[in-house]
Amino acid sequence: MRYFPLVWAAIMRKPMRAILTLLSVMVAFVLFGLMFGMSATFALVEQRAHADRIYSGARFGGTGMPVAVVRQIAGLPGVKIVTGANFLGGYVKDPKQRSFVMLPDRQFSQVFADWPPTPAQWQALYKTRNGLLMSQRQARMWHKKAGDTFTIVAPATTRADGSKTWTFQIVAIVGDMPQAIGGYNFGNYDYFDKSRPLSEQGKVMEIDSQANDPTRSAELAALVDRTFASSANPTQSITEKMAYAIGNNFGGLDINAVIRDIALAGLFMILFLVANGIAQSVRERFAEFATLKTIGFTDRAVTIMVVLEAAFPCVVGGVLGVGLATYLARQLPAMMPPGFGIPVPTMAPWVFGLAAIAAAVVALGSAALPALRLAKMDIATALSGRA
Amino acid sequence: MNLLRQIWIVSIINFKSLPHRIWQSLVIVVGMGCVVGVLLSMLSMTEGMHRAYLNTGDPGRALVVSEGSESENNSAIPRDQARIIMDAPGIAKAADGSPLADPGINAGIPVLRLNGAKAYDTLRGFGPKGVKLRPEFHMVAGRMFSPGTRELIVGAAAHTQYQGMNIGDKVILPDGEWPIVGSFATGDLLDGQLIGDTETVMLAVRRKAYNSVLVRLQSYDSLTTFKKALTTNPALSVSVERQSDWYKKISEGFSTFFSIIAYGVGVIMAMGALFGCLNTMYAAVSTRGREIATLRALGYGAFPVAVSVILEAMLLSVTGALIGAAIAWSLYDGVQDGFGNNVFKLTVSPALIGMAVLWAVVVALLGGLLPSIRAARRPVVDALRAT
Repeated sequence: MRYFPLVWAAIMRKPMRAILTLLSVMVAFVLFGLMFGMSATFALVEQRAHADRIYSGARFGGTGMPVAVVRQIAGLPGVKIVTGANFLGGYVKDPKQRSFVMLPDRQFSQVFADWPPTPAQWQALYKTRNGLLMSQRQARMWHKKAGDTFTIVAPATTRADGSKTWTFQIVAIVGDMPQAIGGYNFGNYDYFDKSRPLSEQGKVMEIDSQANDPTRSAELAALVDRTFASSANPTQSITEKMAYAIGNNFGGLDINAVIRDIALAGLFMILFLVANGIAQSVRERFAEFATLKTIGFTDRAVTIMVVLEAAFPCVVGGVLGVGLATYLARQLPAMMPPGFGIPVPTMAPWVFGLAAIAAAVVALGSAALPALRLAKMDIATALSGRA
Repeated sequence: MNLLRQIWIVSIINFKSLPHRIWQSLVIVVGMGCVVGVLLSMLSMTEGMHRAYLNTGDPGRALVVSEGSESENNSAIPRDQARIIMDAPGIAKAADGSPLADPGINAGIPVLRLNGAKAYDTLRGFGPKGVKLRPEFHMVAGRMFSPGTRELIVGAAAHTQYQGMNIGDKVILPDGEWPIVGSFATGDLLDGQLIGDTETVMLAVRRKAYNSVLVRLQSYDSLTTFKKALTTNPALSVSVERQSDWYKKISEGFSTFFSIIAYGVGVIMAMGALFGCLNTMYAAVSTRGREIATLRALGYGAFPVAVSVILEAMLLSVTGALIGAAIAWSLYDGVQDGFGNNVFKLTVSPALIGMAVLWAVVVALLGGLLPSIRAARRPVVDALRAT
């Protein structure tokens, strides 16, 4: 620490350079924080996935499976409880502002007991036929609160009377989940089903079941598909663990590799920049370092001073950058256009740890060559100003 | 004239001294290279997907879907309606006088990506006019499926993304295994998909309605006639769109997500590069202090000096952008990629490279402006005295 005044003086020798270097490091760490924050969100979703849940859908698409399939799956050995759900997709006022409502039956709250809505909120939903549980993100997006009505125009989903306008009564605003990046809405299956034309009633789009034994859920998923393989309603089932595994999301894109490459490009950019700044600063003060060595400063002391000088923008810029990223992560959903979901970065402890390692690598990497040069310097030549 | 001459001379002197400031100057080149490399790599995906969609849409064809549908998958056109649609005026006629129209089917079928992840690919149905409607369609290997049999043909690019997509492979559908007997190319989205006989596929996946009807218009302007005939017919509730407009709309919805992320990352990185550019140009101005002062003492104006600073920033920044673009282009342009159920080629188009150069010019202008003002304003006597 006794070198600090010397290091500080070196930094303040060119305040403009110090500030600009600091700012560019900060920007790189904003990017670093946001990128790995998103990675952390995906990891969190994967980690929180329940091993005992299985999602089944119609294997070859279509307009839904008969609700009888729900009961048939419930009868399979090893199945604890099953729930069926339908979906309503449409827009709010403008076809570009998309939203959707999931309409599960009443077993859903038991299968997904860990999801944010509380038992009281589910009960409130059941009491209001056209009720709706709206998540906070959706509520912010559409400027809604409990008691408001929410109207979706669903071009592909007509009501029995031929209209395509679906109006819901918001009974409660509920918490968000990291995997529902644009928020979510829940309505009542019965209300939806009975409002459809007779020919469309009694159908479900998704069937979710819970296994008695979480370690055997993959087998159970295979059993479900085998059972219905040659029926009129072949299913395609996947365990929640697999559904939330990163490889299965993002349509085959290796999102973690993309994130890593972007963050690395940002780091490379500032490594070059900081290294140059330090090299230049050392070059300008070559004679001064020679003087320091003459009056007894060891190579080690000189190296420490150079590393400290390089560490300053990395540490301060890194802390400011990751701090700003943490702030931005919270503001991100509100900054996006309505209906646009972006994974909200999670500032997990490991993100900060990784940022600290990155800052250290940049600091040491950029100090290495100048420090080496100082260690090898010929003091007499340097003092004479001929170096 | 004199002013231009002065700018020319000052800039030439300036550029000649660049090798002495090589490392410092490389900060701008590397910075802008990273920004553009990352930006174009990300946008190559949006651009590639966009192009594949645009190629699929032919302005001479019209697509009929059920009213308000935003994808062929959630559209349903019953057989009786399809017959009315194909008899409507405005459709081009084949040699035998029958309308050039084909009802189609779209089914999602579960497939495995090359890395084993679960995904869906599109299985399309072609009716008797399917090929005639699409002059871009040609067989590459094997043979066409025989109508009425359980055979499929596969797009030439499907095997680059999914397992089991070669001639001789079998695709499992509800009523058994369907052999792939041929491979085709269209140069658009269909290259990643499977095609079978519409009626036979419908039987297999137990659909009662078609997804859409594709027609060739009599002339470009026949759309109005065709559309009017369908939308005023009370027996139909359908949407009609020029096929090119249909794919343009879908593609825009798709690419917004990636564009926002790519530009967001690009802007953050460009800010980092901007601070680096400011840093470098301030350093350059201070290194060139004496030279600039000498020029000024000889009678060169402040303006040419300022312009030479900005030109230097631009030269370096644009060089960096071109290197970044070259790297993105050589890594990704033309590479087969897949996202969701789309198979397409990544594209780094000249327009994207042009935009990257524009970014570089803007960063150089912003990063060169303040240092250039400092260079122009510095009193000549002070600068000459300075060491």
